[in-house]
Amino acid sequence: MTTTETKLTTPAPAAVRTPRPWLRTLGLRSAGVAALLGVWWLVTALEIWPRVLVPTPGDVWDAFLTVAGIRPDENGRTGFSGYTLWQHLGMSLERILLGAGIGTILGIVIGLAIGTIPLVRVLLEPGVTFLRQLPPLAYFSLLVIWFGIDETPKIWLLLIAAMPPVAVATAAAVGGVHRDYVNGARSLGAGRWDVIWWVIVPAALPEILVGIRLGVGVAYTSVVAAETINGVPGIGGMIRDAQRYLQTDVVILGILVLGISGVLLDSCLRWAEHRVGPWRGRA
Amino acid sequence: MSIRKLVTLGLAGLLLATTAACSSSDDDAKATPSDGASTVEAPDTLRIGYQQIPNGDLVVKHNKWLEDALPDTTIDWVRFDSGGDVNTAVVAGSIDIGLAGSSPVTRGLSAPLNIDYQVAWIHDVIGDAESLVARDGTDITAIADLKGHKIATPFASTSHYSLVAALTDAGLSTDDVTLVDLQPADILAAWTRDDIDAAYVWDPTLSQLGGTVLTTSTEQAAAGHPTYDLGVVTTALAQKYPAVVDAWLAAQDKAVAQIKDDPATATEAIGAELDLAPADVTAQLEGLTFLRGTEQLAPEFFGTKAAPGAFAESLHQAAEFLHGQDAIDDVPDVAALQPGIALDALDRTFGQK
Repeated sequence: MTTTETKLTTPAPAAVRTPRPWLRTLGLRSAGVAALLGVWWLVTALEIWPRVLVPTPGDVWDAFLTVAGIRPDENGRTGFSGYTLWQHLGMSLERILLGAGIGTILGIVIGLAIGTIPLVRVLLEPGVTFLRQLPPLAYFSLLVIWFGIDETPKIWLLLIAAMPPVAVATAAAVGGVHRDYVNGARSLGAGRWDVIWWVIVPAALPEILVGIRLGVGVAYTSVVAAETINGVPGIGGMIRDAQRYLQTDVVILGILVLGISGVLLDSCLRWAEHRVGPWRGRA
Repeated sequence: MSIRKLVTLGLAGLLLATTAACSSSDDDAKATPSDGASTVEAPDTLRIGYQQIPNGDLVVKHNKWLEDALPDTTIDWVRFDSGGDVNTAVVAGSIDIGLAGSSPVTRGLSAPLNIDYQVAWIHDVIGDAESLVARDGTDITAIADLKGHKIATPFASTSHYSLVAALTDAGLSTDDVTLVDLQPADILAAWTRDDIDAAYVWDPTLSQLGGTVLTTSTEQAAAGHPTYDLGVVTTALAQKYPAVVDAWLAAQDKAVAQIKDDPATATEAIGAELDLAPADVTAQLEGLTFLRGTEQLAPEFFGTKAAPGAFAESLHQAAEFLHGQDAIDDVPDVAALQPGIALDALDRTFGQK
């Protein structure tokens, strides 16, 4: 958050003065964000729509201060639905990490099996492809009937959302490992598990990480669906609660927080991806 | 750089064009109804937000009484699942008349929403059709036993309002229990899995739950917390087309008369709208109280223009509750709520001639 703000205060000049490309990118991006904010402000200033439906950037900022617990509102209250913004976000992240974590492990195992054992490929591939096509809200109703309204169905939903992309990417990565590597290891006396552990996994790891990034991304976009039922605390539950009472500023705040934290999480994973396979896309 | 400048300029141009288009289309929307007003008395289309609640509104819809009364007007019936959505639709200018519970309407008449609509009709007074029930197998026999237990209700609804009122009267605060926001269908699922210990909800879900009844909305009304399903009319419609509002009121009154005098016919119409057997409809209608137009002019409800009734006071109490829930910024006083009741139209249609 703080870096974005400092960027905003000095947008274009940085780009003009220094010829360095990353600074220019930074400047252009800041200008883009500033332009979006400007349009938002302009639209609200013109009062094309009622302020209840389209709140001003200032309203959303005030909502942020109140919900984050920084400054109480005129009635002396902070937070929303009994929790602060950070408790909502923390709970959502916990669900995402748990659901996507289990989903990732399962996805890697299933992907390795599909990629290495032809029989498993025939058996499991249609199921994985089927799951991948389902929108989370479609099976969430079923999960609620089976697992109730507490944490279990939410974790299941995120798990089912995150697993298929990881499995598909892992299977493809395993299939793409150079035959010569496998044959070379075999001729040196490596067994089946040695080949998988010492040759296939390391060679496929960068691609698997791309799959994990995709899986976490899908889990992230599904968290609001997972929190439509008994989702408080949670950003999805907060957005839903605010929508009930037509508190559009809090709805927009929730969307912004989800977007920003999603981008941060994605850049962490991208950083990990570069660490593990710096040669990817170059070799 | 030049290409970038071009792109930037293009984007800016696009933005201006979009903004201009938005504002101009807004002007068009405003202009059309006033053009219509100069020539005919009724608008070309009347958009009505209704809900799947067994009351006279569905009788009017099913029998097309409004279509018959206003032959030159196209009536659009738009279905909503909650009063909150009806509020949003009114703010967005998507409907002219709507049905919402007294909780959402109170929210609409208070800051920050301050929706420009008026209460013109009581579709029903909520009675045993909404109740607080405890699951069999729990040791809960009274409201005070709920301390530390998990209770589900659809938030922002009249049930939510009645539940918190009942808890408060029993000496409990919302912190003493775990409140869960669930829609009726999800309440049923959670109930059968023993995930919740009690629920405040309405029919038909209520009948499906079974369990021990702890309190009903009838009892809550007697304790000073009445809840209603209300008909709201936008102020714009009421001012521009008073005759349309009168026709709508007359149709609603006719429907209530049928529910009271010829329940078999009314039940059939409601059953057709709800896909329910007439026997089920009859059972659900028993949990609601229906009032004829003249009855609604009684002092305990709307009253008359000369002597406004107690209705504004009950809205005021609902507003105090909502303020406690942090759902509205301020509690409007009774005098500020009084203009939110369409006494003009009620007087015209049902007053002493």
